[in-house]
Amino acid sequence: MAVSGLLERYHARHSAIHRAAPRAKLIAALAYIFAITFTREGDWTALALLALPVVAVVVASRLPLLLVLRRALLTLPFLLVALPLLFTRPGETIAELPVLGWTVSDEGAVAVVTILAKSWLSVIVAVVLMATTEAPALLRSLRALRLPRLLVASIEFAYRYLFVVTDEATRMLQARSSRSAAIDGRRSGGSVRWRARVAGNLVGTLFVRSIERSERVHAAMLARGYDGEPRQLAAPALDRAALVVAVLMVLYGCAVQVGVRL
Amino acid sequence: MAAVDPVAAITAAEAPALHIPDGFVSAPVAAVGWVLAAAAIALAARRADRNLDERAAPLMGVMAAFIFAGQMVNFPVAGGTSGHLVGGALAAILLGPWAAIIVMTAVVALQALLFQDGGLAALGVNTLNMAVISALVGWGVYRGLQLLRGVHSVVPAVAAFAAAWLSVEAAAVATTLQLAASATSPLAVALPAMVGVHALIGVGEGLITLGALGLVRAARPDLLARHAQAEV
Repeated sequence: MAVSGLLERYHARHSAIHRAAPRAKLIAALAYIFAITFTREGDWTALALLALPVVAVVVASRLPLLLVLRRALLTLPFLLVALPLLFTRPGETIAELPVLGWTVSDEGAVAVVTILAKSWLSVIVAVVLMATTEAPALLRSLRALRLPRLLVASIEFAYRYLFVVTDEATRMLQARSSRSAAIDGRRSGGSVRWRARVAGNLVGTLFVRSIERSERVHAAMLARGYDGEPRQLAAPALDRAALVVAVLMVLYGCAVQVGVRL
Repeated sequence: MAAVDPVAAITAAEAPALHIPDGFVSAPVAAVGWVLAAAAIALAARRADRNLDERAAPLMGVMAAFIFAGQMVNFPVAGGTSGHLVGGALAAILLGPWAAIIVMTAVVALQALLFQDGGLAALGVNTLNMAVISALVGWGVYRGLQLLRGVHSVVPAVAAFAAAWLSVEAAAVATTLQLAASATSPLAVALPAMVGVHALIGVGEGLITLGALGLVRAARPDLLARHAQAEV
């Protein structure tokens, strides 16, 4: 289930990357990923140059290399939307599918490999960010992006109640399966419409329970003196070393993109 | 260049979700996505704040957790496929369009920031598709069809189903157009494929939305009335 996908167990490690200010990391990661998106098709020099600092950061973060590489494969299924490029891009034929007879063009192959490389490099940056930063600190650093306060507060609340509500949903799903006997390979349990209604009622119940929960949460907040202004401890100071490294990384990314075009 | 059967090519594997990872959208498309999403969110935050005052943050946070959890709920259709929920239309019908935009943005942002479901540079376009477009289309269709309410008693159910179905379809079309504009997916192949696949996904979305609204109408009709009036 989605919730088990968290990288929380890697937060407790110690490295310079773990210690760096979340704000610096978030903005650097975002800007660097943006720099990666500028890479032109087939520009292997740019990709190699952009990969260097990423490798350095992965090594410095002391995260298990296998974890980083494996997590980065999670986006692979999405490559499906780019695969038709192999066949639709005009260019020299480099291969032909047996039976179907579709032809793979060199231009198409270059495009798909470039997308794959850009996506993989970007996800590695994101994995390092998420595996070295505690979620509450990461979410709070969203304030540095000047997002509306209501949105950041909602995101923080959502994180706080994510596990409570998904646990509730999991219990309801479990209850549904324990009431639904099924024989393997045999259709069971009513029409598709009826099943959809059961699932819908489950979602509806979850909504009613959630909204009642939010009312209790709000009442509890009022009882503790909440006046609409979320108050928090001051964010940790932005350490200069992290900031310098972050700025250097982003500048390097921009320099590579400008350099390869000269 | 050979002809490609797009629907077969995509349904053969898992139907691609709408969360675009990084690397698939070009820099200009990603930037435009951020700008449009930011404008919509700023407007939505102002409107939602006005309608809900200091209740807003806890309500929307828990609602975002609800949508996140609601996306886990699925039901078997046939042959190993299952119907499940995205939730944009449901959120818009239950909470109004502005609150729904904030709630869905929180969901999409959490999925990107904590679970790598969708990229960071691509967060702008993902928010635009799954939070802004799906909520606005869902709300627009639902309210639009409500105007016909007096005509036939079946209309509320039809409105909810159509709102959910079209919200998924609209998000899928927007995703496809962005990928095509980024030159990462050929439009002629991807558009019919995405529209076709999401026409099926939309039926699951529509049926679950219908069931959920039916339960809320039976159990807490006041909740539906409250948010229908608070908006616009």
